[in-house]
Amino acid sequence: MPGHPASAAALRGLVRLLVVIGIALMLIPLLMTAYMSLFADGVVTFPPSGYTLSWYGRLAEFPKFGQALGTSLRVAAMATLCSLLIGVPASIALVRYSFPGRSALNVLLLSPLTVPGVVIGLGLYVLMVDIEIRTEFPLIGSDWVLILAHLLITTPWVVRLCVANLVQLDRSIEEAAANLGASPGRVLWSVTLPMMRQGIIAAALFAFIVSFENIEMTLFLISPGMITFPISVLQYLEYRFDPLVASVVVVQTAVIAALLLAIDRYVKLSKVV
Amino acid sequence: MNTASHLRIEGLTKIYGSAAAVEDVNLDVRQGEMLVLLGPSGCGKTTTLRLVAGFVAATRGRILVEGRDIASLPPYQREMGMVFQSYALFPHLTVAQNVTFGLRMRKLPKAEIDRRLEETLDMVKLTTMADRYPRQLSGGQQQRVALARALAIRPKVLLLDEPLSNLDANLRQSVAREIRQLQRAAGLTALMVTHDQDEAMTMADRLVLMNEGRVQQVGTQEELYEQPLNPFVARFIGHSNLITGELVDADTFRLPGGAVMKLARSYAQRGPHTLALRPERVRLQTEGDVSPPRATARVEDATYVGSHVDYLLSFEDGSSLALHEPTGATGGTRRAMGESVAITWDGLNERLFDADGITVSAMTAPGMTTA
Repeated sequence: MPGHPASAAALRGLVRLLVVIGIALMLIPLLMTAYMSLFADGVVTFPPSGYTLSWYGRLAEFPKFGQALGTSLRVAAMATLCSLLIGVPASIALVRYSFPGRSALNVLLLSPLTVPGVVIGLGLYVLMVDIEIRTEFPLIGSDWVLILAHLLITTPWVVRLCVANLVQLDRSIEEAAANLGASPGRVLWSVTLPMMRQGIIAAALFAFIVSFENIEMTLFLISPGMITFPISVLQYLEYRFDPLVASVVVVQTAVIAALLLAIDRYVKLSKVV
Repeated sequence: MNTASHLRIEGLTKIYGSAAAVEDVNLDVRQGEMLVLLGPSGCGKTTTLRLVAGFVAATRGRILVEGRDIASLPPYQREMGMVFQSYALFPHLTVAQNVTFGLRMRKLPKAEIDRRLEETLDMVKLTTMADRYPRQLSGGQQQRVALARALAIRPKVLLLDEPLSNLDANLRQSVAREIRQLQRAAGLTALMVTHDQDEAMTMADRLVLMNEGRVQQVGTQEELYEQPLNPFVARFIGHSNLITGELVDADTFRLPGGAVMKLARSYAQRGPHTLALRPERVRLQTEGDVSPPRATARVEDATYVGSHVDYLLSFEDGSSLALHEPTGATGGTRRAMGESVAITWDGLNERLFDADGITVSAMTAPGMTTA
């Protein structure tokens, strides 16, 4: 019985337990990685023979650490920016205007989500190789190809989040602006976009993370000289399993966490996602 | 209030697909007048307001403000101030920025904007709230910001869409009075929409009752209540018993079951008609009553509600009639259930409509007033 004090207390206890389990499931891999990065042995064994911070001093030894992290951040930032430039106007058009081909555009913008990343990656790879052969212009391994590819997976997220945000905004607020003398352009700039702020920030975050962590599609589009961060970790693990890779992942996590904290200073992230 | 029409609506029609949301609406709003559009949901009153504001494009018809047709202008060129049902305040702007929004769109000089801001906030008593955001205000305060924002642009017409519906019941009356005072003080021509009859009665100079996209009647509170033009008006404004039957001679009204009523006035028409009687304008016949008994009925139910006793009577054929008897005269004593009672009413309180719902006038007879 929901109103009964004893059962209500039991229910609260259960909810609390589930929350603890949920948090534990999220944190354990992270904590394990951080723990392993402190092992003294050159090969990860358990229990470790001792602990050391020296792996963090040897980050530079991680192959292509700087290049990979830099590429990932650069590609993610550009993919985020470009997908916002496409996705925000597209979602406004989808929600606020009716025009021929509206539902087709909606499907088109969301469709990449339905195709496995490996398939998109392979398809793009074949296309790029074909273009390279015909034009003799090197495409594989360029930032722009990666950014364009990532747009395929980031734009649907931006559109989805912005559409969800717009749908719940009171339409009459925009009408009020028009009523007070704002032309359609002014309404968009002074009212619609500022009101979408939270949705846009949420969309940017998702887009950035989706791009940054992508492996399966990116795998096909890198070149030996230019890889992304998750792929550098993957490649390293193929040959070795030492605490260095754990410390690299910890540093990467810290970089992303710092970024989120910085953003959180301006927008309360707990409110937007 | 001068008599020139300031806002004039001619043949305004809006058709969605094959259904008319608003059909052939003609209205004249005088300078400084508050005209209230009233009706059940889906009657077209909100669409009419949105047509005037320009959010909906008219299928046909003209909207004239000071003689100029604005029907083809976009909303941002119409110079109308609208108060929305949801208030529609800009959540990302402060009270001051909300109020000055329209002034900034008009690119007024800063000194003028500041002056009007001060003046408008003063009018709605929100001077101390200028730097707050809408979410930090109570519902009543948000309402006043919405009103101030619309007044600040000194609109040609003030449009109010259900302005009181989101307020607590105890706030409504004071806000209604405040809106009226501000509108009168500014001499603004106003068009308001509401589904609430009491609200309409309180706020309006004149009322427009709509149903199914059409205007049913335009008039003052008294006109709509005392002289409803059709059964819909009679039923919607206040309450009316609508009794269907047949006029068999000048003053005999026969119900389908055979019961007969003697009408208070005489009519030339014959055949099926609808009789409208207000519950508080029908009385139980008492000894020495000036009017003769007009019908007999049986008491089905009698409820004492303080100001009156609420009777439900039934005729032989099962049709029923509500009757309110003021408790002042009787001390609140009730007739017994099942008791047979005689009822009567005066000629002025009797409204008769023909089969098409059109008012039927009584024949003029000496000493009688025609409707």
